[in-house]
Amino acid sequence: MSLIELQDLTFCFPGRPRPALCDLTLQIDAGEFVVVTGPSGCGKSTLALAIGGYLFQQYDGESEGNLYVAGLDVRNSPVYDVAEMVGLVQQNPEAQFCTLTVQDEVAFGLENRCLPPDEIRQRIAWVLDAVSARHLQDRALATLSGGEKQKVAIAAALAAEPRVLILDEPTSNLDPTATEEVLRVIAHIRENGVFGPQGDPGREVLTVIVVEHKLDFLRPLRPRQIRMADGCIVGDGPLPGQPPDHILPLPKAHRAGAARESRVRVEGLVAGYNGQPVLDDVNLEINASELVAVMGDNGSGKTTFLQTLLGLLRPSAGRIEVLGRDIRTTPVSQIAQDVGFVFQNPDHQLFAESVWDEAVFAPRNFECLDGEVRTHAEVLLAESGLGERHAEHPYRLSYGEKRRLNLVSILTYRPRLILLDEVLIGQDPANAAWLMGLLREQVAEGAAVVMVNHNPEITLRYADRLVFFAAGQIRVDAPPKAAFQQLAMLGYNAYVCTPADQRKLEVWPV
Amino acid sequence: MRPRITYRAGSSLLHRLHPLVKGGWLIWGTLFVFIVPGPLPVLSLLGLLSVLGGHARLPLGKLRGARLFILTALALATLQILFSRDGPVLLQVGSLTITQPGIEAGVYVAGRFIAVILMSFLFVLTTDPNALAYALMQTGLPYRYGFALITALRLVPLFEQEGQTVYQAQLARGVRYDTRSPRRFVTLGRQFFMPMLVSALSKVDSLAVSMEGRCFGKHPARTYLRQVRFTLLDRSALIALLISTALIILRILLL
Repeated sequence: MSLIELQDLTFCFPGRPRPALCDLTLQIDAGEFVVVTGPSGCGKSTLALAIGGYLFQQYDGESEGNLYVAGLDVRNSPVYDVAEMVGLVQQNPEAQFCTLTVQDEVAFGLENRCLPPDEIRQRIAWVLDAVSARHLQDRALATLSGGEKQKVAIAAALAAEPRVLILDEPTSNLDPTATEEVLRVIAHIRENGVFGPQGDPGREVLTVIVVEHKLDFLRPLRPRQIRMADGCIVGDGPLPGQPPDHILPLPKAHRAGAARESRVRVEGLVAGYNGQPVLDDVNLEINASELVAVMGDNGSGKTTFLQTLLGLLRPSAGRIEVLGRDIRTTPVSQIAQDVGFVFQNPDHQLFAESVWDEAVFAPRNFECLDGEVRTHAEVLLAESGLGERHAEHPYRLSYGEKRRLNLVSILTYRPRLILLDEVLIGQDPANAAWLMGLLREQVAEGAAVVMVNHNPEITLRYADRLVFFAAGQIRVDAPPKAAFQQLAMLGYNAYVCTPADQRKLEVWPV
Repeated sequence: MRPRITYRAGSSLLHRLHPLVKGGWLIWGTLFVFIVPGPLPVLSLLGLLSVLGGHARLPLGKLRGARLFILTALALATLQILFSRDGPVLLQVGSLTITQPGIEAGVYVAGRFIAVILMSFLFVLTTDPNALAYALMQTGLPYRYGFALITALRLVPLFEQEGQTVYQAQLARGVRYDTRSPRRFVTLGRQFFMPMLVSALSKVDSLAVSMEGRCFGKHPARTYLRQVRFTLLDRSALIALLISTALIILRILLL
């Protein structure tokens, strides 16, 4: 019998028309390295929750079929028992921490298993070494970067010496530098094995299952790829060593004419929180019909920069002019009518009780909801695949659909400046393609778009300029290709779209 | 912005004291200021607290809310001074009469108020909440309750941050908070709390998965790597606390 065995497993959440997992049959042997891929909402995370035992004990729903891990009937076993064999690391490390410090966090599961303190100490040292995080041992979790937090979450799961480690989109909230760090840890675990604190080489090799969109770093490890769609397994085989020829299945991008009307002018901007400056002497001009990609490590000042452009955060020095108005003397309510701002988390910006009301929420507040705006909203909803779902509650939409609704709800009032904070997080290529296509249309109509994102290919293909922040200052400001060269020289290789990828992208019509 | 009233790491005497012994002294001090009859013991306690605060290098006067507490204390003192008319008169201007008992009562009431606030500040500023939770669990508090405290400590700043984001997202979509209509106010509340509730539930889901996946609750007891140690200093402070409590009880019985 395989280590993990699914036999005709089906799971349906209450009130959903389609099963989240549909008749899955699958075997995973001990020591295998598996990557699960597929579009947003296809059931990848549900599969991860099923193998960990959570789906059957913590979620309402109907299930059929069987799931065994090392012979244990997962459907009918308490999570504790499954947890002795399966460790799960979720998408957002912040949401899964149970304590306040690194040491306490790694010790947490071991203390719950009533291990003696000396053994716990030994395991902490071993597991933090395994994820290259020994230096973080005495730090408070709140002071760690995103990548460091995810490493600690992996260490906490590994400390219990599970036979299976599941990582559910461990890099989706991380910047490219941190993503590289975490994927390197996964590669290290696979290449060197994890043999416990005693270093017993006779131990079974850890079975690793990774749900992940970013596959390039994992290709050299030759994982098995399980492709999912609509809750079903649609492909199972080795992950190709080379990416497909067309990396991004994106539609034709529209490039705009050379309108030079200024939308944003920033001079000597200094801004921050609690007296601590985050932005320091930022100077920038953004014109109409420009799509500016803003990149940089987490904490480099990207979000703070967007907030200052709408006046949500007042600068402590410098001058910001948005659409010809001085941001220091203009109320947010006045600027907002011409500026659309989409925040990072889709759930933080859904306020109405139906998809339609959400789409026209802002125009209603701005008192500009006329026939033309209604028609525009209907067209946008139809284009985004939400045309038939006007009456549904926004929280019933999938993640990708919520993201599309977020964008629709700011485009209905035709803002002249569009600010987007990491809207591509958690988006599969098809959703990303739709979002970017729509944004290029806005740019073609004269809007300026400032988009914080972490994807070099998207930047290269769609942005007119790349502005790179480091430690609160603009380090690079140039068209994408030139910017990548400068970033490579500065050592920010994780942000660079390689010349090979650039050549593949050039095949696509621009 | 003024610093928040939250734990500040340090190595002073107060920082090193066991959280539960410190908590015991906080309760003792609160009872003390309400039992002693005159302002002198209260002023003495205030002097001692100031010395301890200075030793711990705490910016007590600069904390958020400190000014409000000082103004409240002054208001309490003023009311006592203005409305106590018995006893020897120190000053009379028109209908304004200031008496010696009035001044004493003003100092006494304001001193009590400041002392209680100051003791609470010192406790919060010098006690690592994590250490407090572990100390409570190691003293017998069921660990489920102890971790409820730790979870709250972890999630409150996150919710605060998310509340700020939701508010900003609403401003960006033209929501106006300057309304006086009760109906509109209810709608605003619903529009604000719905995203917060959804976010809280999703966090609770993730946390439940994370905790159960690490065998939380599997056994009735658990071991602890972090030991909140009971040092010689703690023993001495505890003995002093017991003697002081006995003296207070004795005084109550004798009066």
